[in-house]
Amino acid sequence: MAVIHNPDPSDSKQRGVTRLFYDARIRSIFIQAITLALVLGFLGWLTLNTMTNLAARNLSAGFDFLDVSAGFGIGFTLIPYQESDTYLRVFFVGIMNTLLVAAVSIVLATVFGLIVGLARLSNNWIIATLSRSYIELIRNTPLLLQIIAWFFGVFVLLPRPRQSVELGEAFFLNNRGFYMPAAVPEPGFGVVTATFLACIVGTIALAIWARRRRDRTGRHFPAFFTGFGAIIVLPLGVHLALGSPLGWELPELKGLNFTGGVSVPPSFCALIVALSAYTSCFIAEIVRSGIQSVSKGQLEAAGALNLPANWTLRRVVLPQALRVIIPPLISQYLNVTKNSSLAIAIGFPDLVSVWMNTSLNQSGRAIPIVAMTMAFYCLVSISVSLVMNYYNARAQIKER
Amino acid sequence: MSDAPLIFSPKPDRPAPADTVGLLGWIRQNLFKDVPNALMTLLGAYIIFVVTGAVVNWALIDAVWSAESRRECLDQVGRAGACWPGVAAWFKNLIYGLYPKDQVWRINLGFVLLVLWMLPLWMPKVTSKIGIGLSAVLLYPFLASYFFLGGEKALVWTALIALGLCGLIWVWSTALTETLVEKPLGSWVIGRLGVPEADERRQRQTKLICAALLFVAAFAFVSLWSLSEVRTRLWGGLFLTLVISGIGITFSLPAGILLALGRRSDLPVIAAMSTLFIELFRSVPLITILFMFNTMLPLFMPTGIEVNQLVRAIVAVCLFAAAYMAEVVRGGLQAIDKGQYEASSSLGMGYWQTTTLIVLPQALKIMIPAIVGNFIGLFKDTTLVSIIGLFDLMNMARAIGEDTRWLGLFIEPFFVVSLIYFVFCFAMSSYSMGLERKLATGRDRS
Repeated sequence: MAVIHNPDPSDSKQRGVTRLFYDARIRSIFIQAITLALVLGFLGWLTLNTMTNLAARNLSAGFDFLDVSAGFGIGFTLIPYQESDTYLRVFFVGIMNTLLVAAVSIVLATVFGLIVGLARLSNNWIIATLSRSYIELIRNTPLLLQIIAWFFGVFVLLPRPRQSVELGEAFFLNNRGFYMPAAVPEPGFGVVTATFLACIVGTIALAIWARRRRDRTGRHFPAFFTGFGAIIVLPLGVHLALGSPLGWELPELKGLNFTGGVSVPPSFCALIVALSAYTSCFIAEIVRSGIQSVSKGQLEAAGALNLPANWTLRRVVLPQALRVIIPPLISQYLNVTKNSSLAIAIGFPDLVSVWMNTSLNQSGRAIPIVAMTMAFYCLVSISVSLVMNYYNARAQIKER
Repeated sequence: MSDAPLIFSPKPDRPAPADTVGLLGWIRQNLFKDVPNALMTLLGAYIIFVVTGAVVNWALIDAVWSAESRRECLDQVGRAGACWPGVAAWFKNLIYGLYPKDQVWRINLGFVLLVLWMLPLWMPKVTSKIGIGLSAVLLYPFLASYFFLGGEKALVWTALIALGLCGLIWVWSTALTETLVEKPLGSWVIGRLGVPEADERRQRQTKLICAALLFVAAFAFVSLWSLSEVRTRLWGGLFLTLVISGIGITFSLPAGILLALGRRSDLPVIAAMSTLFIELFRSVPLITILFMFNTMLPLFMPTGIEVNQLVRAIVAVCLFAAAYMAEVVRGGLQAIDKGQYEASSSLGMGYWQTTTLIVLPQALKIMIPAIVGNFIGLFKDTTLVSIIGLFDLMNMARAIGEDTRWLGLFIEPFFVVSLIYFVFCFAMSSYSMGLERKLATGRDRS
């Protein structure tokens, strides 16, 4: 009540202001308003400058150039592309190439990383040390350096097509790239494909049924092996019964170069080798930490229950190790996709190279091109984080 | 029953089986436990033998040590041995870039000064380590950038350089007084001048006067210097790599801490903006950000302001590194127990006191491995600036193979440069492991 009886008006006023200043809610609104104003002001200043600059250089920031013919060739494309095609098609060519590099590297890196990670845990000292030094050596040198070293130091120096390195008469490696046979489907191959797809669907259904039955009755049905066997055996049987309706087109040396078959340029090989080697180190460490995270007591408990060895692995160790392994593994996959953008250093036409470099220099539309590239990578990483959140929610330990 | 008491007297322990102790036992346990294990050992030994043999042969035994051009090397040994003269001829460029040869001492002096500045941090008796660390981050850059850049200096610039010089003098006089007489610099000076200890106001005045005198002297000294200007276009090699990663590292930690605090803030606008920034920069590759800044920064600036290419690259690297650092710091903040916050607010601490005195020290300590891992990543990522045309260590190595005399000489420079990168990264990670062990207080007590 002292405030009310205070005869000095200035003091009470000051107290009001002070109270306002120390009121957490008002203060937070005040701070946020100032920050927002500063950031918006800064962005506005940037936009204003950009508009002035664009006007001064006679540039436009619209997306209308997407329909214009690009007019440059691309060395390696997955979807058909000609010089007269539009910029929009260039964008998609780049995306496809980026995704191809990412997919191939992810598969190779996972397989190799698993091997190295298990070797790191080996109780053989020499194997463990060997894989540890491999990991340290590769992890502590820059990826870009490795890509460039593989490209300039190995794949460009390979012999000419006439003296190609032959791998079993069907695969050729030379300084123009890597050549392998192409599959040519003949009539009747559709039936094989259909059988294959049907087997996959059937296996999934079988797995769901087996799990339900196990939950209901406690009886186990080996759905995994049955399904896996069916996926391999049935399509193969149909394939052979129809007289192998799949032809192989082998690459042949004609003149100075190979024709036929499928080929990838040296830059692709260098990128894949470097990217998979680099990523496999990180995956190896993830695998190691995942397996080490399963406590010894779990193994002993499984032994006490007299579980067979493969059940111990499949029902006790793997489910717990995978919970630790999968989240960082997925973020490594995302990293591979982002790192594939280093392709530009050795001239492989991925998204950054054909779109952010060539197309940007040709059309001069910096803003839409940068925005589209970033949008693509953001889209990839948002979808990956959605998958990850879904997995984390499912794999979380459910406490009772 | 006899009356003699039965006394249990154990027999002496039998020695462990001979095949489990000593070198032989170790070999048997770890290399030849069973047949598959022995096979693995042989395979591993074979791989090691082949790889090291090939590398030693190529790099040392078959290598060419003196030649005038790559042609000569190829004539002598072909591709079987390394051609080191090419790397030797370019070695200065690998380290200093195209920096004028007669000015290289400035780079060396700059880095020696940094070592001098940081040295007291490892002296056991020095107590004001936080001040020294802060001064290294805040004041050293002025001094170093003048050494590296040189050129005309206006009044403000001279003052900043003088401030840097004062910082260095302060660091070493503090380190000396604290080591030799175990007193902070201020009280030692005051004791020497005979100012009475009870009079706090006079003490403060004396300290201020001393600082001002030092600054004036440094200012006068600095204005006598003049170093010729070296444009950043000439910067390159390991020097450029260290400059970019050094700036990136010193910027990313504080910026990352602020962003992480922002993301966890109770204020929705600040949390949203921090999250947006972090997620945007983390979801795109560094190379797109470098390209973006390379093409767009000139558009963003008011007309007439030229932004040098090195600055564009540094801005991109800094923002990118800050976003990654923010996530690392956030991980540390999330690991801090809620009880710590509650305890500090029950002691009457406000937000900033809680954050700086209670939360951050613990959060940063548990995140040391991840933070250093991030630094290593940043150091490796600086190679990307070569794609926008800067001649960092890696790009300089590639340039050797494009020199007409050493045309096609790629493997040797890359080998040397890889070793340099490896030494830096490995040293950083080993140091962080040591630091982690040293700071592991209260955990792993067993």
